[in-house]
Amino acid sequence: MVNTLVKLSNATRAVNSGSKEVILLDGIDMTVKEGEFISLMGPSGSGKSTLLNCIGMLDSFTGGGYTFLGEPVHSMKEKHRSRLYKDYIGFVFQAYHLIDELTVKENIETPLLYKNVKSSERKALVADILDRFNIVGKKDLFPSQLSGGQQQLVGIARALISEPKLILADEPTGNLNSKQGEEIMELFSELNKEGVTILQATHSESNASYGSRIINLLDGKMVSE
Amino acid sequence: MIRNYFKIAWRNLIKNKGFTAINIVGLSLGIGCFVLIAMFVTDELSYDQYNEHADRIYRINSDISFGGTDMSMAVSSDPMGETLENDYPEVEQYVRLYNSMGPKLIKKGSEFISESAVTHADSTLFDVFTLPAIVGNTKMALNEPNTVVITETAAKRYFGTVNNAMGQMLETDEKDQTLYEVTAVIEDVPKNSHFNFDFFFSMDNVDYTFGNYLSHNFYTYILLKEGTDYKAFNKNFETVIDKHILPQVAQFIQIDNMEEFKASGNKLEYSLMPLTDIHLHSARNPELSANGNIQYVYIFSAAALFILLIACINFMNLTTARSSGRAKEVGIRKVLGTEKKSLIGQFLTESTLIAVLALIMGLLLVWLSIGWFNGISGKDMHIASLLSPKFLIFIALLPFVVGTLAGIYPAFFLSSFKPITVLKGKMSSGHKKNKLRNFLVVFQFATSIILIVGTIVIYKQLDHIQTSNLGFDKDQVLVVDNSGLTRETRQSLKSEIEQLAEVKSASFAGYMPVSGSSRSDTTFSTESVMTNSNGFNMQHWRVDYDYVSTIGMEMKDGRDFSRDFGSDSTAIVINETAVKLSGFKNPVGKKIYTIDQNNDVIEYTIIGVVKNFNYESLRQNVGALSFRLGNNSWKTAYRFSTADVSGLVGLINEKYNAVGPGMPFKYEFLDDSFDNMYRQERRVGTVALAFALLAIIIACLGLFGLATYIAEQRTKEIGIRKVLGASVGNIVRMLSTDFVKLVMLAFIIATPIAWWFMNRWLQDFAFRIDLNWWIFAVTGFVALVIALITLSFQAIKAAIANPVDSLKTE
Repeated sequence: MVNTLVKLSNATRAVNSGSKEVILLDGIDMTVKEGEFISLMGPSGSGKSTLLNCIGMLDSFTGGGYTFLGEPVHSMKEKHRSRLYKDYIGFVFQAYHLIDELTVKENIETPLLYKNVKSSERKALVADILDRFNIVGKKDLFPSQLSGGQQQLVGIARALISEPKLILADEPTGNLNSKQGEEIMELFSELNKEGVTILQATHSESNASYGSRIINLLDGKMVSE
Repeated sequence: MIRNYFKIAWRNLIKNKGFTAINIVGLSLGIGCFVLIAMFVTDELSYDQYNEHADRIYRINSDISFGGTDMSMAVSSDPMGETLENDYPEVEQYVRLYNSMGPKLIKKGSEFISESAVTHADSTLFDVFTLPAIVGNTKMALNEPNTVVITETAAKRYFGTVNNAMGQMLETDEKDQTLYEVTAVIEDVPKNSHFNFDFFFSMDNVDYTFGNYLSHNFYTYILLKEGTDYKAFNKNFETVIDKHILPQVAQFIQIDNMEEFKASGNKLEYSLMPLTDIHLHSARNPELSANGNIQYVYIFSAAALFILLIACINFMNLTTARSSGRAKEVGIRKVLGTEKKSLIGQFLTESTLIAVLALIMGLLLVWLSIGWFNGISGKDMHIASLLSPKFLIFIALLPFVVGTLAGIYPAFFLSSFKPITVLKGKMSSGHKKNKLRNFLVVFQFATSIILIVGTIVIYKQLDHIQTSNLGFDKDQVLVVDNSGLTRETRQSLKSEIEQLAEVKSASFAGYMPVSGSSRSDTTFSTESVMTNSNGFNMQHWRVDYDYVSTIGMEMKDGRDFSRDFGSDSTAIVINETAVKLSGFKNPVGKKIYTIDQNNDVIEYTIIGVVKNFNYESLRQNVGALSFRLGNNSWKTAYRFSTADVSGLVGLINEKYNAVGPGMPFKYEFLDDSFDNMYRQERRVGTVALAFALLAIIIACLGLFGLATYIAEQRTKEIGIRKVLGASVGNIVRMLSTDFVKLVMLAFIIATPIAWWFMNRWLQDFAFRIDLNWWIFAVTGFVALVIALITLSFQAIKAAIANPVDSLKTE
């Protein structure tokens, strides 16, 4: 039987802007099963990024329920949540968000540092992934020396290094040209076939089509599945 | 253009209130401190400059070693001045001051007032020193015996007005009663003078056997003719010694020439010291007033300069910290065609404006703290002295110097941004590459650590002095001045007070083991004929029965003087150092010899050895010393034991007034007199503490700013790291590590410097603490903890920020 990774029930996110309450996400009900590749679509400001951030535990829902692998995230202690997050979730950003001062190798290694993985093991894991992504030759370069596509490749490698169950990608091809974008999407679907669950936010119909399922958002509400 | 600069500068200051506040507070502390020390140093350097001939007046110093005792004296023999004037045409005039008669009681109405600002002076005083008369002719004023010249203050105290004083008689207690006629009233001696007398009595009234080259009791000043090189003049003293002094020495110990005298390790040297050097460079015995110390002038100046620098560094660091905020403005201005030159001008205007605001606040701080500073430095400085033209120029220039010093680096740094880079928002943070900033932080903390170590060492040494074994018990001893009483009354008063239950013992005690008390030294020999080799010099104090027990000294061998032995008038008690000099294995019962005024040999029998006790400051080792029974009744020491000290003093005061009506009751506690010997060290300690606190506060202000800067620059990185799983702890550690390394580096640099300085300072003390490793360890630890606390404010703030906000697509 396939595990349920994420389950949202009536999840809401509201912020106070001045004296007014602004609702960013309104009563989201959704389930992400292991092995799925879901695309979130919708115009700018529809709440895609907010939803990703909330599922990724960088932000939290202000109402409703959120369970991750059957555990209730909304009532969880910070420490527990942090462990869950480190073990199971990887992020990929539109602007790559590599650390400028670190080399490719060091950027990829960083998440392992925070999981207290031993040095020898870290080296082995980084070497594996560099090899797998065909970027061994670039391991000592700094982000500024890479093209956008290459940077995003590093970003994905970094997200994968800690072997997460769920990859959250916020417009991963937004800053790339179409050829680079295609390559990244190919990589995603390959990873998905290997068993990684992916949840991506995108504007592009063609990118969305790589997914197994599309969720449309408008003004913080789910309009269709 | 300038107006435009000011407008923008002002708006920027208003916009960034936090930074502006930190900058101004830091700089105003630095400037305030700097101005205060500038006033202090100016005052210290101005001593004796009021004399018209300040550059031609010299004091004769004497350096004598004889029989194991070294003496560096500010006094010389009575004929020396006249001899120089007669033998050398370069000497235009000389004057002597004689001060060994101590304070005088001077009658005002029916009461006597004890005056200590008194001296006897030659009539030539006013030819050498510039002490202008208000009434009377100072040229002639001291020509006759029984004349006195007084200052305006003294004239008002005794006669109400200056004009009333002329021609009046002053009655003193010398020889029971001596009358002096006031022949001139002069302006008060300026405060920045190495002597401060209110009464100059005629030299003719001094009770002294004149013509003795071997007794050194007169402060002698000579006025050299213009163009005379005093260093070359010093060579003349050898001739003077051979011609005039050797004949008298030869009479006393059997030698034929000075070489023989020197061959046995003895020394007799004279030299001239420029008048203006006396206050800061002379620490001889006895000085006419507590002198300053050039070392402290240097130390204070350096500390003030460093504190100002630390404050300037803060400005640099904080301004570059704001740079990412200003970068866009710089980019836009450059795109609009502004030249780099005018951007630099704009930023310098801003820094100068801050410096001006800081100056205003700094002067306010000076105004607030000057009273406190006067208290600890023993000065009498007024804020009004800043209005002198010299200071006004200094103050007017200060903000420009400080503004440029602090602003030049940020100005170049900010104005060199490339417009395209900054407008694209791609400014590289480069936080790890900034060597200059790292150097500045290391500099700030090294300075702070040196100041903290210095403060700890000074306080430890003071504590060491207070608690070290002095060889006597300074607590609970009351010393009453008897100089207003007749000899018989002194005895009866003492007996009466001894009856009080609170008084444990009493003894006449004219000689006391604190510096500044009476002293007298004599040469002794171990055989009845003194030779160059069996003679030695030691302190020779006349004491009373029970002196040893009242002051709380201990006998090592033999016994103290006792009323049970009739023969104690030829008995002598010596200390351990004297035993060593004499060479006796078993001193008790041995005889030593000296010569009296009539050149007759006097024989003493050693009856006891007193354990060494410190009778001068702990800067010096304990010299040889001896006691004999004799008249020393001008003071009485009472050892008491009571909780109600003021009650006891009141009781004794009553008894004193009963026997000495109209006489001033003067007393002091032995432990207070003892503490007074270290007043200068205590002042330095307080000032050092204030400096150290200021330095660390300003440095931490800067660190706080820097941490803000770094956190601001690394916002994105922190966000990414948090997304990648970093905990708050990870981030705080990451942000702090670099600074902790810098503080540790500062510690490593500061330790040897602080060690060297404090080791040198401690060399002045014969009895001193060791420089323990833990003083440095504690200081380093404290600096680190303070730095960490400062850093953690910003680091934690940055670490708990939500990464979602910092990673929003730019």
